Amino acid sequence: MEILYLLIPMSALLVLMIIGVFGWALHGGQFDDLDREGERILNADGEALTGVKLEESTAPNNAHRVDSH
Amino acid sequence: MNAPTASLDTTAAQPDLAVLDDPQEQQRFTRWREGRDGQRVGESVLRLSGMYCAACADTIEQALMAVPGVQSARVSASAERARIEWDPSRTRVAEMVQAIRRAGYDAVPDAAAPARALRQAEHRQAVWRLFVAWFCMMQVMMMAWPIYVAKPGEMAPDLWQLLNWGSWVLSVPVVWWSAAPFLKGAWRSLRTRRIGMDVPVALGVIVTFVASSGATFDPGGIFGHEVYFDSLTMFVAFLLAGRYLEMRARHRVASALEEALARMPQTAQRVRADGSLEAVSVHALRPGDVVQVALGESYPADGELIEGQTQADESLLSGESRPVSRQCGDALVGGAVNVGAPVRMRVQRVGADTRYERIVALMQQALTERPALARSADRWARPFLWAVLVLALGAALAWSLVDPSRAVWVAVSVLIVTCPCALSLAAPSALVAAAGGLARRGVLLQRLDALEALARVRRLFIDKTGTLTEDRLALRDLQRGAGVADAELDALRVGAVVLARWSRHPLSRALVQTVGSDEAVPGEGGWTQVREQPGQGLSALDAQGREWRLGRASWVADAPVADGGDALQVAFGPRGQVLLTFCFEERLREDAAAAMAALRAAGIEPALLSGDAPARVQRVAQRLDLPVAQAGATPERKLEAVREAQARGEVVAMVGDGVNDAPVLAQADVSFAMGDGALVARVHADAILPSQKLQALADARSIAARTMGVVRQNIAWAALYNLACIPLALAGWLPPWAAGLGMATSSLLVVGNSLRLAR
Amino acid sequence: MAQAAQPGRPVYSDAPVRLFALAAVLWGVVGMFVGVFIAAQLAFPDLTFGIPWLSYGRLRPLHTNAVIFAFGGCALFATSYHVVQRTCQTRLFAPGLAMFTFIAWQVVIVLAAISLPLGYTSGKEYAELEWPIDILIAVTWVSYAIVFFGTVGIRKVRHIYVANWFFGAFIIAVALLHIVNSAAIPVSLTKSYSAYAGVQDAMVQWWYGHNAVGFFLTAGFLGMMYYYIPKQAERPVYSYRLSIVHFWALIFTYMWAGPHHLHYTALPDWTQSVGMIFSLVLLAPSWGGMINGIMTLSGAWHKLRDDAILKFLIVALSFYGMSTFEGPMMSIKTVNALSHYTDWTVGHVHSGALGWVGMISIGSLYFLIPRMFGRKTMYSTRAIELHFWVATIGIVLYIAAMWIAGVMQGLMWRAVNPDGTLVYSFVESVKASYPFYIIRMLGGLLYLTGMVIMLWNTIMTVRSGKVVETPVPMVTAHA
Repeated sequence: MEILYLLIPMSALLVLMIIGVFGWALHGGQFDDLDREGERILNADGEALTGVKLEESTAPNNAHRVDSH
Repeated sequence: MNAPTASLDTTAAQPDLAVLDDPQEQQRFTRWREGRDGQRVGESVLRLSGMYCAACADTIEQALMAVPGVQSARVSASAERARIEWDPSRTRVAEMVQAIRRAGYDAVPDAAAPARALRQAEHRQAVWRLFVAWFCMMQVMMMAWPIYVAKPGEMAPDLWQLLNWGSWVLSVPVVWWSAAPFLKGAWRSLRTRRIGMDVPVALGVIVTFVASSGATFDPGGIFGHEVYFDSLTMFVAFLLAGRYLEMRARHRVASALEEALARMPQTAQRVRADGSLEAVSVHALRPGDVVQVALGESYPADGELIEGQTQADESLLSGESRPVSRQCGDALVGGAVNVGAPVRMRVQRVGADTRYERIVALMQQALTERPALARSADRWARPFLWAVLVLALGAALAWSLVDPSRAVWVAVSVLIVTCPCALSLAAPSALVAAAGGLARRGVLLQRLDALEALARVRRLFIDKTGTLTEDRLALRDLQRGAGVADAELDALRVGAVVLARWSRHPLSRALVQTVGSDEAVPGEGGWTQVREQPGQGLSALDAQGREWRLGRASWVADAPVADGGDALQVAFGPRGQVLLTFCFEERLREDAAAAMAALRAAGIEPALLSGDAPARVQRVAQRLDLPVAQAGATPERKLEAVREAQARGEVVAMVGDGVNDAPVLAQADVSFAMGDGALVARVHADAILPSQKLQALADARSIAARTMGVVRQNIAWAALYNLACIPLALAGWLPPWAAGLGMATSSLLVVGNSLRLAR
Repeated sequence: MAQAAQPGRPVYSDAPVRLFALAAVLWGVVGMFVGVFIAAQLAFPDLTFGIPWLSYGRLRPLHTNAVIFAFGGCALFATSYHVVQRTCQTRLFAPGLAMFTFIAWQVVIVLAAISLPLGYTSGKEYAELEWPIDILIAVTWVSYAIVFFGTVGIRKVRHIYVANWFFGAFIIAVALLHIVNSAAIPVSLTKSYSAYAGVQDAMVQWWYGHNAVGFFLTAGFLGMMYYYIPKQAERPVYSYRLSIVHFWALIFTYMWAGPHHLHYTALPDWTQSVGMIFSLVLLAPSWGGMINGIMTLSGAWHKLRDDAILKFLIVALSFYGMSTFEGPMMSIKTVNALSHYTDWTVGHVHSGALGWVGMISIGSLYFLIPRMFGRKTMYSTRAIELHFWVATIGIVLYIAAMWIAGVMQGLMWRAVNPDGTLVYSFVESVKASYPFYIIRMLGGLLYLTGMVIMLWNTIMTVRSGKVVETPVPMVTAHA
């Protein structure tokens, strides 16, 4: 079963990486205030919610991240 | 849900909100950090009101995001809070609150934010450690199982090594990170030369890890070739789970307390330019405002005493229990309780939540203090721990003679299986969970120790006015004394009302209500040197310097007066002469009878202890079939009544809400304050009843009794379990994994048993 | 309703979504047709007509690859690209790269459709494609990961919706599995030898095989489920908290279940036991997810009556529950002793494949396709209803036939005379299975018919709709 010399270190590494990902998520606030997150996707989708500020639209990917829909 | 604010003036928005940007005030609900491009970013938390569904959260977020300078806005619908990140160079908090108001809601600063942030940080750390422990435990178990399951000779030795190595790698984070609280706790207690509860756990973890590591890297060596990484990770994981559950219970109680407190109205009586009074939220105060502070209430802000002289109870702030006297011109500290006389003060600095914050801090402290029950359990734990260590050492020595390869493992098993965690958790987990359960039923426990007494309460002394009867008193009649002309009637009435505003006594409040809400009552009335005599009434000097009195007829007339039958009477007149008598009607609370029945069913005997006239007290007593302990009682007589009952061997509970109740509350074994009673009563009571439903007391007692039962069960379990397992471990019949599993399950059982109380 | 794009206003990159969605329907029909064909061949072996490219041994991998990677794969690409954009409120990170993944994936499929009937195969189940195609798959997959994670990286919403976690795990796991398992030494353009040998290869293969099921066919489609069920039912997931716990619990346990495919083989006993134990452990998180999805309809069960798409989605979850119960049961050694190599395994696979994977994809595509063409609903909702019933009856026929056949085969193969000789010869068991092969073929034919109805409905929807660009909702974000 020499293949385990590959599979076991690989799974140990994987476990550590997965722990890292969880830590990133936890400390990034991914698990705060879960009550609303399930409902968020049901809100208007693909429709403008507030007025657009045209000067922002040129660089949408640089805008700050928000916590609203 | 009640909004915490009273009448906020929404039309003249700007002046009200300016206080929010006062740097001193702002730091109570705002944190500062460095933003992306190095500029300062503020992170503020506001409490919202007017939200009625989750979609409101979206509306508010959008409103906030539309304010230039706001970088992010996150609204929690369940907690009714908004966390806003903003650029101080582009906007102010006032503008954000205005935006919220324009959207149809309202917001006040959230002074509980720091406490909550702390709790959230604690929670996150705990989840993090827990996750690492459980995840690694699962993986280590996967690696350990092949070794258990393989038949001898089926697995090549180098493969065995590989699996052990894998287990080792995954146990390292568990030992160094997840188990760190135990290791640190053990280190701390050892430094104070004491054996704390963490010591055996830490020892067990370290020894198991070192020995298993030895067996991994040097299989033929002194540690043998058995590894126990799975036991190790498993019991760290389970122990952490137990502690996590306990922490959640604690947090829930703290949060319930904060919520309930935040909902209690925080109003101040501001004196308008024309001298009339208006009730405003403490948040709306500005420096320079003049406020009137009744007896028994706290100063809403730091300021200067401008009228009257009084004494200030600063025990909330400084721990100094004796009131300090204050004269005209002296500084008054926001949050201190006014216990001398009603006064007027000028606001100098607004700390909108000074009082609130301080009360919360006090309550938090009360919750984290180890209650007496826990301390006595700790006292048992210490010698027990020594015994455990000695036993473990002894076992190691004995086995090193019998079978050296097992010596270490037997010692480890002994250490692990006998962890007194169950003992130490037995009481605190139950008390905290019970506090949570009580909070759900509308009883806010401020002192965990009170639970013990509450479980044995026999006698409950209750007042009549405001407790058994409705607080709202209806004016039935207005009688005038001889020689009072029609023309004078109105002026007299107004004068009485103005004077009554200096007090929070139920009758005074009823009197004020007769005029209708905040009807422009011409201010001054010219009362100076207002004093309140608990049990009698108010006295003050008019513009001419004559003393007038408002209160008990016999006190106003300064001579015995026949009591007026049914109605509650408030007399008014210059000292020696009753000019006006207000006759009020009181009604029994609808649930009073049911509450009395519930109390009796719970094993509590209620009795009336009232300062009101005997005839009226008797009537109520008859209606509810209650014994009258005392009627017409002065505060001193009330105290005596409590002492007498205690001397008879009864455990006495007392419900009070008056300014004069504080010493009696302190004397009682368990004390309750009604939700909107005098602040000084609320602060010194063991528990608060915000709902004002006496039925809750019956629930409280049964929960307290169950709690004591649970504590006993937990301790009994801990003892039995240890008695059974120690011999097994000593005899070598308990491998470390079983010991770990046993100890961990035992702790979890104790915590789980306690959590039943939280429901 | 969707607005016309304003100049300068960003729009979602839905072109890859649209294309993958249509491709999924097409490949579904193709892959299932091959399936019905080979099912027919088992009952009527002469259907090969002596042509090597039509032989069962060559067509079976074509079927499995087509339904898993062509149909399932395109559905996953389409839905993941759709969901990640909508839940992150941003267009795709590198739309050009996303289009590349579409083209490259279609090339992979076509190459598979050519190479497999020609007999070029590595012999590893669900990984039959030879090394040049494997390399193309790896390149495509890395591009997929870049697009997906890049989009999550530029998201406008801080919270990452749970579906994206499932998609993300699926992408990473498949990358890892593919690269490790497909490691091979090429000897010519169309032939290579596995980097592993013998029982080692078997272990790697089934570590791949089972995790392919677990991550490709489960995690990925759970991502789909967590988005499209709430959207179609217009209710949030029953317990969002549980969905997160579900995700992490699944991740915990999946990696070690592989050996249950190798019970009673040359694999050491202890490896088999470990595989069995952890397959059983897997039951809990799987059912947690199922309950979470089904209970989303709690309080709105009446919607099932009239909404055929919801029927697909919810029934898919029931099959998921069934399969994730059946699987662990079958991984128990004593049960496996009866079921291994029989048609019960095939029945189990297809209840999962037709019931869970098929139906959740179909339901999600019925939600997605009209919206990609400016419509709220498909051209014909009655056709969706018809599809549902046809498909369900098909599945039931299929798995019932296979259960009976499988148990019967197992019993027949192990029947031993008192003197130790076998009671039945192998051929006898084949003969006994014959009627069930026919029933199975009919079940499959019904399911294929349903897919053809879907193809028709899709074509009509496309013709009566028009491609619209959906603007990304602008929250007034300030730089």
